[in-house]
Amino acid sequence: MKDELELELPLGLKTRDQVISIRETIPGGAISSKAIHDPASHTNVQATTLPNPIENSSLKSSGSDHRSDTVAGWLFCSPWIVGFLLLFAWPFVASLYWSFCRFDLVNPPQWVGLANYYRIGAEVGTGKGYGLALWNTLYYSLLSVPLSVVMGVGLAVLLSAKVPGQKFYRTIVFLPSVIPVVAASVLWLWLLDPESGMINYALSWVGIPAQNWLVQARSVAEPETMSVIGTGKLLGSKDAIVLMSLWSVGNFVVIYLAAISNIPASLHEAAQLDGAGVMRRLIHVTIPMLSPVIFFNLVMGLIRSVQTFASIYVLSEGTGEPGGSLSLISIHLFLSAFADLQMGYASAMAWILFVILLVVTALLFRTSRHWVHYRVAG
Amino acid sequence: MTKRWGSTLLLWFVCLVFAMPLIVMVSGSLKTPEQLARDPYSVVPESPAWSNYVQAIGSMPFWRYLSNTLILCGGCVIGTTVSCAMVAFGLARVPWAGRKLLFALVTVTMLLPWHITMIPRFVLISHLGLYNSFWAIIAPTFLGDAFFIFLLRQFFLTIPQSYLDAGRIDGLSHWGLFWHLVVPMSRPALATVALFQFIQTWNDFSGPLLYLNDPQKFPLAYGLERFVSSYGDQTHLLLAAAALFTLPVIMIFFAAQRAFVEGIATK
Repeated sequence: MKDELELELPLGLKTRDQVISIRETIPGGAISSKAIHDPASHTNVQATTLPNPIENSSLKSSGSDHRSDTVAGWLFCSPWIVGFLLLFAWPFVASLYWSFCRFDLVNPPQWVGLANYYRIGAEVGTGKGYGLALWNTLYYSLLSVPLSVVMGVGLAVLLSAKVPGQKFYRTIVFLPSVIPVVAASVLWLWLLDPESGMINYALSWVGIPAQNWLVQARSVAEPETMSVIGTGKLLGSKDAIVLMSLWSVGNFVVIYLAAISNIPASLHEAAQLDGAGVMRRLIHVTIPMLSPVIFFNLVMGLIRSVQTFASIYVLSEGTGEPGGSLSLISIHLFLSAFADLQMGYASAMAWILFVILLVVTALLFRTSRHWVHYRVAG
Repeated sequence: MTKRWGSTLLLWFVCLVFAMPLIVMVSGSLKTPEQLARDPYSVVPESPAWSNYVQAIGSMPFWRYLSNTLILCGGCVIGTTVSCAMVAFGLARVPWAGRKLLFALVTVTMLLPWHITMIPRFVLISHLGLYNSFWAIIAPTFLGDAFFIFLLRQFFLTIPQSYLDAGRIDGLSHWGLFWHLVVPMSRPALATVALFQFIQTWNDFSGPLLYLNDPQKFPLAYGLERFVSSYGDQTHLLLAAAALFTLPVIMIFFAAQRAFVEGIATK
């Protein structure tokens, strides 16, 4: 029960912050607070002619109203109810069933019991197939999600400083997030070129040797790197996609910015009176006040990172190469399903991933009690 | 004073890092292949080679791809806006028993990874005979999207109840309240949803990858990816094609910032 209550809070944060971010920070600049708080500014209805606001309940007192409400409710929601049944509920059950089958799309599914799961278990043991994909996904998520939180908070703090041109800076940092994934990937394919790429060129300015990026299967935090540390070619394909994912960190920055603007100025003033400097206020005021949003972005970032598909597909030209190093679960699953037509195996993969995600999210919620500070309402 | 200079300097550095890939994309797309090979990263091209763009458009069925993309975008925008507005109204402003449960389900589906639903959805779409048709991508948007429903519901909740009560006293049905009251009052929010959906469909790569296999039906995003495999060594054309594909999104992004704010201000 307690978990459920806590679940609502970060979810609620999402919309509120998304809406805030839309109207207060840069993207879209869509909804002004005026439109929300003062609907009278654009409507024809003369609410003011009513002598008193009529109680909500007085209008739905009679039975026929109640029935018409229910009918209307079902009708208005019917698109999504159909959508839920067709696009979520049935697929959920079907993929669970197919995960126990051999299924190639052409012939009807054929029950094989736990065979797909045994196969996955064996692959996890040998580090091939799903095992490799799991490792790749873990690597990508463990690196990209925490880095996106650190960078996101850092940039948001920097961008919330009241300096002239603040809006311009915010726009620039957000801009990469609106670049279409395929275009961004094509661009990064070029930027990451080991010989003529701009990234290596920029690294050479600060004396870092050229890296192999997308053509090197071994990435920096993998154990084999220790043995070749002298060569200087440390960064590989997964580091490249982490780097590219950080380019579009603006999505998260926008949410942090909205949250920072909601921190009461009095807290900073009080800390300042107590003699706290910039750093201490950051650590003892800003970050604790941001912790619900950080937690929310940690969960969403994790879910999102596991689902990354298009950019990796384009960067590895639809193969997961080199050496299977870009075969993350989403790629491995897609290729197993639609290149090898092993729908049963792919469904089992999806379910295992889903269960892992559930467990990790639950663990995150568990730990959140110790470091996430929710403000008392009111 | 020095502190302010410090942060301004840092901000310029950060902006340079974030903007540089885009700057070199545009400048690279305007360089001749010779200059690109000799000096890839100077910001100003020697003499802008606009012919790169003409050549990039000429080396793929660009107009076909573009019209496919626009059909998909149009269909998805209509689908999402209509369905999500209706569902959000049903969840926010119709008092009925099932709405809490339904809303909880909406939020839960946002957290589901696509891996689980992808294969059954593909089977469903194929069985309905929609494979290799634009409807495979457009039709699902008529069944609502959790995130946009969420967004619109929050907006609809900010409309004061007294307006709806006044409408009811004037004899409006639920549909009348929705159509004559809530929709006109929510134009900025609906425009936001339409815009987000447009950009989402414009950028969408995995949908076409999964459901379209006739080159005549490819949208730009997929066409661009195919372009990489056939023209991978012609960087100047690749950059021009990527820039061309990105330009409308950036234009919408900048235009919308102002248009939306002005749209509200002039009301």
